[in-house]
Amino acid sequence: MGLSDKRGYLGLGGESALTKRERFARFPWSLFLLLLVLASVGFVVLFSAIGGWENVHLLWRQIARFGMGVVLMFGLSLLGGEKLYRRYAYLFYALSLLLLIAVFVFGTIGMGARRWLSFGGFLLQPSELMKVALVLALARYYHDRTASMRQDSGGLGVPLLLIAVPAAFIINQPDLGTAIMVISIGVTVMVVAGLSWNLIIGSMVILGASIPMAWNFLYDYQRQRITTLFFPEQDPLGAGYHIIQSKIAIGSGGVLGKGFMAGSQNRLEFLPERHTDFIFSVLAEEWGFLGGCALLLIYAMVIVRTLIIATQANDRFGVLVVVGMTAFFAFQVLVNIGMVIGLLPVVGIPLPFISYGGSSMLTLMMAMGLLSHVSVYSKQHGRSV
Amino acid sequence: MLDDEHARFQVDVQRRLWVVGGGLFGAFSILGGRLFYLQVMKGGEYRNLAEDNRISLQPISALRGRILDRNGYVLVENRPDFSLAVVPELTESFAELIERLQPIINLSQSQIDSLYKRLQSQRSFLPLQIKSKLTWQEVSRIEAQIHSLAGVTIQAKSVRYYSQGVSAAHLLGYIGEVSERDKQRFPAIHFRSGDFVGKSGMERQFEVQLRGREGVREMEVNATGRQIRQLRERSPRPGDDLHLTIDLGLQQIAEKSLAGKAGAVVVLDPRNGKVLAMASQPSYDPNKFIQGFSDKEWNALISDPDRPLGNKAIQGQYPPGSTFKIIVALAAMSEGKMDASERYYCPGHIIREEHKFYCWRRKGHGQVGLVQALAQSCDVFFYKLAEQVGIDAIERQARRLGLGDISHIGINGEKPGLVPSRSWKRAMQGVVWYPGETLITAIGQGYLLSTPLQLANMMAAIANGGTVYKPSLVDLGDDELPEVLQWGHINPNHLELLREGLREVVHGRLGTASRYQPDRVKAAGKTGTSQVVRHKREESGEIIKSENDRHKDHALYITYAPASPTKEPKLAISIVVEHGGHGSSAAAPIAKELIDYFFSRTENGGDGIIGPIG
Repeated sequence: MGLSDKRGYLGLGGESALTKRERFARFPWSLFLLLLVLASVGFVVLFSAIGGWENVHLLWRQIARFGMGVVLMFGLSLLGGEKLYRRYAYLFYALSLLLLIAVFVFGTIGMGARRWLSFGGFLLQPSELMKVALVLALARYYHDRTASMRQDSGGLGVPLLLIAVPAAFIINQPDLGTAIMVISIGVTVMVVAGLSWNLIIGSMVILGASIPMAWNFLYDYQRQRITTLFFPEQDPLGAGYHIIQSKIAIGSGGVLGKGFMAGSQNRLEFLPERHTDFIFSVLAEEWGFLGGCALLLIYAMVIVRTLIIATQANDRFGVLVVVGMTAFFAFQVLVNIGMVIGLLPVVGIPLPFISYGGSSMLTLMMAMGLLSHVSVYSKQHGRSV
Repeated sequence: MLDDEHARFQVDVQRRLWVVGGGLFGAFSILGGRLFYLQVMKGGEYRNLAEDNRISLQPISALRGRILDRNGYVLVENRPDFSLAVVPELTESFAELIERLQPIINLSQSQIDSLYKRLQSQRSFLPLQIKSKLTWQEVSRIEAQIHSLAGVTIQAKSVRYYSQGVSAAHLLGYIGEVSERDKQRFPAIHFRSGDFVGKSGMERQFEVQLRGREGVREMEVNATGRQIRQLRERSPRPGDDLHLTIDLGLQQIAEKSLAGKAGAVVVLDPRNGKVLAMASQPSYDPNKFIQGFSDKEWNALISDPDRPLGNKAIQGQYPPGSTFKIIVALAAMSEGKMDASERYYCPGHIIREEHKFYCWRRKGHGQVGLVQALAQSCDVFFYKLAEQVGIDAIERQARRLGLGDISHIGINGEKPGLVPSRSWKRAMQGVVWYPGETLITAIGQGYLLSTPLQLANMMAAIANGGTVYKPSLVDLGDDELPEVLQWGHINPNHLELLREGLREVVHGRLGTASRYQPDRVKAAGKTGTSQVVRHKREESGEIIKSENDRHKDHALYITYAPASPTKEPKLAISIVVEHGGHGSSAAAPIAKELIDYFFSRTENGGDGIIGPIG
């Protein structure tokens, strides 16, 4: 290994200069292909969920969003400069936080909550942006700290603050789901960055013990969602309706499903929010256990592929960015499906690349672009995959 | 040093990534396992739930069977009831539409208010009922412009209609909304709430046959209940028509002749026990049970002392009076205590144990045989006969002719009457039977009770030679053999002697019913007068005039015709007129009317049919 190589490898020297052509060639095409498959599955399911040709304009809009997302992913991943995102990480975080505060001050109220900022008709959801910004900021922080500082428990203060401040604003919107998401992503980054195992296990114990206390801080509707999760039949036409109808849809799909466009629960509008948060039940009803497992498998493949990128990252910043983005993607899948199949309370988390909706699609593509950028500049690129 | 640190970091990161990856793998496995549980293990269960979700079963009611008389005249049928409904979402403006309909249907302000209230609470794709029971005029005026009234529909519902009004009301019964008790009574029928079910009479007895089977339409519906399309339909099977043995003409004569009185008439065919008429007065209009009574009407109905709702033909229990002498005569003959030559002297009364037993004719009948005693209804003759025969033989004979037990005619509420015996009295009153009570029983008083149906059936047995048929109300065709309660075993000589006496009642010079001989055939009969409770007095000691009427005796008459030895009897009749006074004057004329009507109809060719009257 030559000196220049070594300097580049350690992320200490000048940035490795890769030509546009080289960067293009190093783009993680297999990951992109998986995302393309995922999005295509999404279009098929969405077509059924919106009721076919009658509402096909929704499908066109979703495809257009995916197109914008692809441009975003390619743009972010192919931009030159290995240190580019590390350099602007804090700035990006600060901007996102400002937007969150702006929502707090003059956000648009929709469905009983204040989550959106309106830019001349275009709705922006800063809490989505925050997920990405937080990952970048945490990665930058840990990248800059030395090993000894990282092991120091006093070094916990800044990361916890980085997580807690936006989380507090999001809880206030109120959007408990997204807040928990932001916290989970941040904590995952901290764990991989080197949080001592004692601390991890210790806080898990404390967390477990404090759940009963947290109960008191929840809003009534949030408590109700949790009780309905375990006893949906108590309120079949009210809070339990979503879960019951969703379970009926999924269960009645059986092994092979009822076939494309043939799900009665979906067709007859028994499923609420079937083209957004509950779209997985449409897929499971029409494509059955096999279809559901196939989707889970594609998601798992995406995760495996991104974790491989993490192992190939040049520096700590790269590793943590990839881990954070992967956590973002994976948690979203787990929470959404867990909710739809009745394992988790109903929170408004969309299913990555399948649910109808712009904010989620664009932020996810942004995350994929940023982690691909890590892959593009990886020295070990192509060694294993 | 940096190398070192980075290498350590690399190793540590690898380990931590494995932990993260492992955690995610675990989480995905849980999702997969849950999917397996829901879709593979519980798939069938959820599939059923999904089917229930999407299919709404709509009942299509079956047309209830009609009830007809023996000649095919309709007694009970169904009539369409038209109602106006509007599907709000199909109208351009609901308020405007109502305004346009208003000149035709004339809704009151409160009706309009309730209409708008219901409009708020009901889904707009479901028809909203505006007005029911439309007249023909209203229907035709709406139909004439229905093309310009978007969203308006005329719905037809079938409603039970008792075509003959009050006629045979007790027999036919009526229908009403199903109750818990009805559900227990008909466990095989699947009722839905609001269904109608037979509440009494034939409507109840033949509920299963009349009801038919409801059809069903399987509609696919969405989550809001809107119908998407029809999946399947099973047509309803209409109920069977019920053909009664009733002859509407006879029934109407019977009712007309009882009009304004309280009482009952039963006409049987003695050859098979078929009921040709069964009238009970006063009556009621069963259509009121369908349309609903006003409070006033209902109170009047249930507080009427003549109990219009009760069927006196089977529920009225009257002392048989002198009609019971038939039983005493038969008992005496079969015990060998009486023959054609036997005579008794009637001085107007007899004295037994310091108690005077009077004949109704205080002057007495002089020397009388069985024939004269029957014809003139001599009480003393039968006192003496009963002394010879004893209560045990009388009781046996009464039971042999169907008294003292229900006939299983198949209408709810049939009463058994009462034939007293020594053992009955000991069990009921703890006292032995006194000889004087045998005397009272001989003239049909005392403990004896009988229903008009039992008396008619007793007379039918005398007419047909002694067989007591189970009275039937439903015409099952001529192939069906009549059911028999008691086979005839009366000695023909005894029977002929008895019949001669009964013919003398009508055709003899001194017969008690001789003023009411039928025009076309001979008849045999027996009059009776049954004592109502001993006259009660008001505390003042005076009897109010109308009260006095209530204490008049019941008039009874039983008869059969034709009664000449060469002809087979075709009618057996019993008539009870409550508080009518004497059987001869109040009841016998009704019998004459019935017999004359029947035989004027059949004279020109066997059982030729002439339509019912009026």
